Amino acid sequence: MNTPLAWKNLVHNKVRTAVALAGVAFAVILIFMQLGFKNAVRKTATQIYDALDFDLMLRSPEYLHLTDPGMFPKERIYQAESLPEVEIVRPLYLGLSEWQRPQSESIPDSGWEGQWRGIICMGADPNDPPFARPDIRRVAQQLTDPRFVAMDTKSKPEFGPANGRRFSSQDFGVETILGGGRVQIVGIFELGTGLACNGACLVSPEGYATACYWQPADQVNLGLARLAPGADPLETQERLQALLGAPDVNPVTPQTSATPADVEVLTRAEVIAREEFRWVEQTPLGKIFTFGVWVAMFVGVAIVYQVLSTDIANMMGEYATLKAMGYPNKFLTRVVLEQSVLLALIGYVPSLVISWILYQVVGAWSGMPMILTPTIAGAVLMLAVVMCVLSGLAALRKLFQADPADLF
Amino acid sequence: MTATSAFPATSGMFVDGAQLPKTVKVGGVNHYFGEGELRSQALFDNHLEVRRGEIVIMTGPSGSGKTTLLTLIGTLRTVQEGSLKVLGNELNGASRDQINKLRRDLGFIFQAHNLFGSLTAHQNVNMACELVEMERKESDRRIRMLLERLGLGERINYKPDQLSGGQKQRVAVARGLVHNPRIVLADEPTAALDEKSGREVVTLFQEMANDHGCTIIMVTHDSRILDVADRIVKMEGGKIKADSAVQETSVICEFLRQFPLFSSLTPTTLTEVADMMRVETAEAGDVVIRQNDPGELFYLIRTGAVDVVVDDGQKTRTVAELKEGQYFGEAALIRDEPRNATIIAKEHSVFYTLGKADFTRTLGRAASFREEIQQALFSRS
Repeated sequence: MNTPLAWKNLVHNKVRTAVALAGVAFAVILIFMQLGFKNAVRKTATQIYDALDFDLMLRSPEYLHLTDPGMFPKERIYQAESLPEVEIVRPLYLGLSEWQRPQSESIPDSGWEGQWRGIICMGADPNDPPFARPDIRRVAQQLTDPRFVAMDTKSKPEFGPANGRRFSSQDFGVETILGGGRVQIVGIFELGTGLACNGACLVSPEGYATACYWQPADQVNLGLARLAPGADPLETQERLQALLGAPDVNPVTPQTSATPADVEVLTRAEVIAREEFRWVEQTPLGKIFTFGVWVAMFVGVAIVYQVLSTDIANMMGEYATLKAMGYPNKFLTRVVLEQSVLLALIGYVPSLVISWILYQVVGAWSGMPMILTPTIAGAVLMLAVVMCVLSGLAALRKLFQADPADLF
Repeated sequence: MTATSAFPATSGMFVDGAQLPKTVKVGGVNHYFGEGELRSQALFDNHLEVRRGEIVIMTGPSGSGKTTLLTLIGTLRTVQEGSLKVLGNELNGASRDQINKLRRDLGFIFQAHNLFGSLTAHQNVNMACELVEMERKESDRRIRMLLERLGLGERINYKPDQLSGGQKQRVAVARGLVHNPRIVLADEPTAALDEKSGREVVTLFQEMANDHGCTIIMVTHDSRILDVADRIVKMEGGKIKADSAVQETSVICEFLRQFPLFSSLTPTTLTEVADMMRVETAEAGDVVIRQNDPGELFYLIRTGAVDVVVDDGQKTRTVAELKEGQYFGEAALIRDEPRNATIIAKEHSVFYTLGKADFTRTLGRAASFREEIQQALFSRS
């Protein structure tokens, strides 16, 4: 066992090492948060889909994102059901409506009473709501009257919960206006409101027709198909698309199929991937956080470089002596890089703990799904090591200047 | 034909007898610092040979180039001009790997101790052992032995900030010696040490030189340790001004004292004269000087023998044979006349020569010395 010089140097200069570790931790926590936010964007974009029960989805080719889904004729749903591989296709109505903040007696006048807020409105058949999650299914089944509405508890306080914070059973019975008619809150569920909107609610299809009265009655927004046991999703997707006509990607070419191409059939994976792509790549949101990761890396490199190069500068004579003794630059490089990697690893551990706590705090506060996945933890560990090794490599230039001839 | 060498007489390079291998051979080394217009020459045509087991002390004023020469020998600078062989390896044009390999056979002791603050005395010294992959048991034994010898037995596991300046310097000495280097290069190794530990350091040097044939080259101004030197190299203005093997110098001084005109000189002056002498060699039958040639040199026979041949116009005859320790060529210099005889080498011979100007100046000093004595004696009576 050779003398662990890198480790000894770190332990010896406790103050400097502490500064370096604080720098590493700072950068690593920043990276954690940025990646967490980015992941939250991704999760947020798709969490409604995660709650839905479908193998294939029918939707308009004009679909942009969850809160701007476009619409297609309801007949397509019945057409699709004609295929033997398809067990059932259930419509989901989805659109932006307007919610008038209810009058509340428990909290003082905040100036918001009676104001209108944009809200995501989902319409599902209470007889067979297309939700995978049993809790949401149960709530949807209660919406037997067009005037009944269930609120997402992740909706922001500006939608007027009785306790001023979030919707709860206290709000049951409260009446207000949604879109074109009066509604009464009869239930709550927890789903998450997405990125385009701060609130979400669930009604029956008839309730949706009132809430989004501008949508023609014969149009639906999403068709959720569940396949018969043993049916292959990809083959069925192809057959369905053939049945319903190819999507009109190139309007110049005349359609050859009998039916107009107003429906696109997608697998579950495609739906999720496209939604993530939309939010993470096509909006500034994802870019901001990717950029944030780079900024955090840069800050980390700067701090660690500063510490390492000061360390090297203070030990120029010692390193030059090692060179004079015959230690090759390779050895000195290894010492510095070992020091870098040690800093990364030691700095990472507390950062992981602190970040986990911050995820909980930020998640609870913002309503975003902040989840510290093993993928994020692994990615950050890798970035931390890369960050410190980069700093080490930058600091090495100084080390190579150590000239043993200056020692005499 | 006789051959003149670039080495001074006192270097002892040409004495016959047990010739120890040379560990360092410096041949015509020039060195420059700076670039372009700022380029200035720091070393001028230096020649030096150091033998196995020799302790060499380099002296000279600061800026005389002794440190530059030491760093060149120590492979810490790149040789620019001339030849420099260390342990048989030519450094001029040597590769990085060759040099790193060679450095493991060298031991450095710098004026600044340069110990790692994070390592104990033992671990600092061990850095030198790890490089040469010494076995752990052996390195541990040697580290303990050296540190104990240097009076640090109690402080083997102390870190540098718990040691005094002298103690740190002694740890650095141990680090320079622990891997049994074949050449030790030291810069003022005793400057920070008290008399007793300074003596212990040079005693260690002597043991390494005598027992292991280690060559020690050190720059020092510490007159307390001059007595360990086998050779003293004096530098001035980038050139070796004197290269005196202590043993050889005393032999020359002894020979010079036999010369009546120099007999009154003090040892100091004799040493100076010895330093001015150069070496010339001749093979059997070579004519060293020829009758009626102008006289330029005074000759002292270091080894070998010569015949003195006089041509009186009718025939030549050998009038005398001169041997080791005897001299010739003085008459022409004293009287400023042509040579009055021809000198022919009988066998391989080595001569130490003194130029006419130096010879005359020395005579003058001898005279003035005599007058001084006479003056002193006269005024006393």
